[in-house]
Amino acid sequence: MEDYAEELRSPPVSLIALVGCSEHHHMLSTYLHSEQPPINTLALPDFSKISLLLSDSHRNNNKSSSPTTDPLSSSSSGILKKDWFLKHRTRVPAVVAALFSSDHISGDPAQWLQVCTDLENLKNEIRSKNIKLAVVGVQSSSSAEISEDRMIALRKRAEVDSKFLVIFNPYDDSQLQQSLSRLGTVFAELATTYYRDEGRRIKTRVEKKNFNSPELHVRYCFKVAVYAEFRRDWAEALRFYEDAYHTLREMVGTTNRLPAIQRLVEIKAVAEQLYFKISTLLLHGAKVVEAVTWFRQHYVSYRRLVGAPEATFLHWEWMSKQFLVFAELLETSSKAFPSNFNPLLGTGERPLTEWEFQPAYYYQLAAHYLKEKRKYLELAVSISETDGEIDNGAESVTPSIYVGQFARLLEQGDTYVMQPLSDEEYTSYAISEGKRYQDSFEIIVLLKKSYESYNSLKALRMASLCGFQMAREHFAMGDFNNAKQLLDGVASLYRQEGWVTLLWDVLGYLQDCSRKSGTVKEFIEYSLEMAALPISSDTEVHSFRSKDVGPAGPASLSQREIIHNEVFGLVSGDASRAIAENNDDLKITGDSPLRLEIDLVSPLRSALLATVAFHEQIIKPGVPALITLSLLSHLPLTVNIDQLQIQFNQSECNFTIINSERTESARMTNDQQGPRVESAPSLALVTNKWLRLTYAVMSEQSGKLECIYVAAKMGPHFTICCRAESPASMDELPLWKFEDRVETFPTRDPALAFSGQKASQVEEPDPQVDLILDSAGPALVGESFMVPVTVASKGHAIFSGELKINLVDVRGGGLFSPREAEPSSMENHHVELLGVIGLDEEDESQVWADKITKIQQSFGLVSVPKLGNAESWSCNLEIKWHRPKPVMLFVSLGYFTDSNELTSPKVHVHKSLQIEGKNAIQISHIFMLPFRQDPLLLSTIKPSSDAGEPASLPLNGSSLLIISAKNCSEVPLQLQSISVEDDDDNERQFTLQHSGDLLGSAQLMPGEEFRKVFTVVPELKASKLKLGTVSLRWKRNLETNNHPSTVGWILTKHELPEIIVEISPLVVNLESPPYAILGEPFKYQVKIRNHTQLLQEVKFSLADSQSFLLSGSHSDTIFILPKSEHILSYKIVPLTSGLQQLPRVTVTSQRYLAEFQPSLAASSIFVFPCEPHFKKSDNGDKRKESVMAE
Amino acid sequence: MIVCVAVVGHQNNPLYIQSFTEADDALKLHHIVHCSLDVVDERVNNPKKSGPMLNETFLGLLYPTENYKVYGYLTNTKVKFILVTTDLDVKDADVRNFFRRFHAAYVDAVSNPFHVPGKKITSRTFADRVSSIVKSFGLSSTV
Repeated sequence: MEDYAEELRSPPVSLIALVGCSEHHHMLSTYLHSEQPPINTLALPDFSKISLLLSDSHRNNNKSSSPTTDPLSSSSSGILKKDWFLKHRTRVPAVVAALFSSDHISGDPAQWLQVCTDLENLKNEIRSKNIKLAVVGVQSSSSAEISEDRMIALRKRAEVDSKFLVIFNPYDDSQLQQSLSRLGTVFAELATTYYRDEGRRIKTRVEKKNFNSPELHVRYCFKVAVYAEFRRDWAEALRFYEDAYHTLREMVGTTNRLPAIQRLVEIKAVAEQLYFKISTLLLHGAKVVEAVTWFRQHYVSYRRLVGAPEATFLHWEWMSKQFLVFAELLETSSKAFPSNFNPLLGTGERPLTEWEFQPAYYYQLAAHYLKEKRKYLELAVSISETDGEIDNGAESVTPSIYVGQFARLLEQGDTYVMQPLSDEEYTSYAISEGKRYQDSFEIIVLLKKSYESYNSLKALRMASLCGFQMAREHFAMGDFNNAKQLLDGVASLYRQEGWVTLLWDVLGYLQDCSRKSGTVKEFIEYSLEMAALPISSDTEVHSFRSKDVGPAGPASLSQREIIHNEVFGLVSGDASRAIAENNDDLKITGDSPLRLEIDLVSPLRSALLATVAFHEQIIKPGVPALITLSLLSHLPLTVNIDQLQIQFNQSECNFTIINSERTESARMTNDQQGPRVESAPSLALVTNKWLRLTYAVMSEQSGKLECIYVAAKMGPHFTICCRAESPASMDELPLWKFEDRVETFPTRDPALAFSGQKASQVEEPDPQVDLILDSAGPALVGESFMVPVTVASKGHAIFSGELKINLVDVRGGGLFSPREAEPSSMENHHVELLGVIGLDEEDESQVWADKITKIQQSFGLVSVPKLGNAESWSCNLEIKWHRPKPVMLFVSLGYFTDSNELTSPKVHVHKSLQIEGKNAIQISHIFMLPFRQDPLLLSTIKPSSDAGEPASLPLNGSSLLIISAKNCSEVPLQLQSISVEDDDDNERQFTLQHSGDLLGSAQLMPGEEFRKVFTVVPELKASKLKLGTVSLRWKRNLETNNHPSTVGWILTKHELPEIIVEISPLVVNLESPPYAILGEPFKYQVKIRNHTQLLQEVKFSLADSQSFLLSGSHSDTIFILPKSEHILSYKIVPLTSGLQQLPRVTVTSQRYLAEFQPSLAASSIFVFPCEPHFKKSDNGDKRKESVMAE
Repeated sequence: MIVCVAVVGHQNNPLYIQSFTEADDALKLHHIVHCSLDVVDERVNNPKKSGPMLNETFLGLLYPTENYKVYGYLTNTKVKFILVTTDLDVKDADVRNFFRRFHAAYVDAVSNPFHVPGKKITSRTFADRVSSIVKSFGLSSTV
């Protein structure tokens, strides 16, 4: 853009000339220039200069037919004059302001005459050019006055309107400002008039079309547009520029004024200028979409106008310039765009795309066309050289006065004559001009702009393309460092996205760069990567024969093979295999051995991939463990490896595999290798086929054993060091993963391929100490249960060790750990570790008891004394169950065999045991009333569904309480005592008798039940009477089970429920003999006793029974006096023998609406067929008891 | 005339790329297709710029190069189709129609149980079908 002249780049500014009174010129020019819009001034000190100025432009006009004077000229020799625009901006004023001092105006006649003469001359000068005139009277002093007459006379002489005659007073500040602004307005108005008149004058010519050459049409339109620009009428300017542009485009086929090449050059030059103006106007108006659309039309319409073949490069140069200029325009004006500028893109009605609004796009294309230009220029240069043309006077060729025209400047004596050129002359001139420029630098600059711009737009792929093209330029110029730097960036993008063909091309350049700069390592790396690219034989081989193909040649399988051979020829030092082409600097010698590192992200993984899988995830120390080493290569040809070194993190495990086919090369390095050397029959890597090798490694050291590197040695001085990978977590090969190919597992065993790891855990040595946990059956709740723990050495001496004891809830209720249960909440521990008791002699236990580190409810830490080989030590864990539940006991022993804890491994033995905790004794109780006596208890009348109701006992009536204890365990128990104890110290509200104290020690076999009968007589009416707690003392029966268990008696408590004591208003007693004899009558009495102070009405009825003959009233209503007893008496004769049901009596108390019927058991009697003969004894009570117990 | 069609996968890797020119500019076409992915990304990441094209698979003209026009299409599974043509006056309807048929062919090709998703499409049937679609491009509008 800087190539364009200033007058094209900036909007035109009105020009006026100031004549006379030169001392005020500076102030006036400064003021006018700072006006909005600004006005430029030409300051002429005196009136004679104006004629020089104007005649100067006249003289120029005289040479060619002036458009102003010769509108009908049909054969103009050019389209636009180069200096026309400049002339109007700098030399042809729109207004001439004649400044006359007031002294002169109102002075003596001589002075006045001078004024008139000057004015007259001036008028004559400017009249032909239609330049406007303004007359300014300058007050020579603050008090000077100009007479009215002289003013009128002056105006008449000047033939100007009165408003264009201005008095200028520079001495009074307030009047100065006023007159300056007045002058500004006047000049602006006159200038606008001038430009409008001029524009209109030419516009009428355009409209009348009274000319017959399109050149004139273009020229006139251009002028009208320029005049419009002077007036800041952008819309009209744009319209006429466009008109000129279109007319010009039509001229291409019609005009034949100049030789063909030059004609085209001229048209293009004019079009460029017109287009530049149009673009500038559009972009200044922020009409970006229009500008872009215009530009597209512009280049599309001129792109095909290549012109004559020998001057093609001119066309491409021109095209490149168009793009460059538009890019620069877009870049400078893009700041003015609104940030949310949002055109609809890519749609049918607005076929513009994102990049067309970005300068980067145009820079890139400018570079592209510049490359075209260079190509054709080189062609043209070579042709001209072969033709042997000499640059005949190209230096005398200069641009002619018309835009886009060139002429030869001939010296004829004192004057210079412009002589038209022939096309051949012009071409040779253009070629010689073109040779002066280094296009490559220009191209790189353009591409770099584009590259940076695209990068900032995050368009990485476009940027990569630019980077690649830049790199190619650098490469062509031999600047390999820059080229490599760019190409590396580009290659990484292509690698990442898997564009193999593009990557191949880039790598080809990189390979050649490194070849030419002699860096062997990089050369081999790039070559290996190329050789391992997924390019198969059927990948579009034919379409890569273009000249665009980089130094690597077309991407094909055969090319890969060539590269492969070249690399391996180089590394093997075998010159015959290498391509004998400037490989002199590339050598691998013993002095500079080459070692390539391939890590997990290296692109060379496809050249060599090494996976290592341990067959076992855990291996034992000192025991050989198998590992499978798998190598994969995608190089096109088979690779023979001389030797493989496998390196582990435990360096004593390292080993080397030697290819037995190549022993001579391997043997050389044999000596300095690690201790272990294996030999393999063949180490040939076939393409895309795993080479699987299985070897055993042995580690003595516990911990992690990891394979780190697999180094493959190929040739005498070349090593590829490959970081080992685990098959299970191996990433796919970056480029090959997109290929549709056969994939095999790195190991023979597919399971190992999915799970194999390159690292394995070496176990600690096997413990040679036994840890024995013993427990006899389930533990009983309440007792201190002993679990014996024995540590017995079977080969290892224990230098120091400790036992860790943990109690864990089996049902997953959580660890009984001190973390979970705070010390305060002891109750949470249903099972508790009480302590550890040694079985050794007292004094020794004293010693080690100090070492006990910790005993908590569920966790214990006990140190183990020093033990020699085959010695043993044991202790007892004392555990108490508070609730019946199973518990897992974990005991782990960690010990050192050696005094040095750092070196000797700590060995762990773990044991666990599940111990059941059970209730030993189940205690239950029953309340019973005396036989055949039923008190009416009012609380029982109401039917109660709730079984949990407390039992009711009659006040002062004796009831029986039977307490039974059942042995639920599997071991015999011994009972000491069973008693009911008060809970508190209150006075007892009942009397309690029991049937006598036990039992020195009662044996209770498993499943057996022991009962004890108490008699309870409540003495106080109470709704809730606490009877106390049953205390039972028991222990395991040690005679039957030799168990190291409880010493003392264990107390199990059972709380009796509360009872209700109430007064019974009525008591019914049934009285009958204990037995009856068939046919013998007996007496059956029902006694109803009224305990109340009230008269009780009682109904009773008696049901007949078939087994008895009965006498007495069947039913009646009777009244029982207070505190008295009514007896219903019956005589009964049994008719049937056996256990018979006595006739059932039903008693109903009317007051309480309570019905009573004796139970079946109470109303049964046994009828003997004849008088039985009993052995009478005294313990009749006891028999009765046993009957009750059943 | 269509000079190149391409299927581009999730990681912007080429799944299928085929040029249909006699000239030796396959590499250039590869570059063009690759660069057009930038525009696809731009359109996908700034959907508001696309305005009414929301939820549309057809991405429209991606960018014009000096001799080619590049059109894009984005499937629901984020697989991109790129079309490079030398025709300077292309009807949107034709391109849409082309992409619709191309998409159908692609769906059939990847429905092959032996095709591994994400790998290159090597099916010969697909290639034949694509070339017939390419040959018939633009004919529908003239008929």
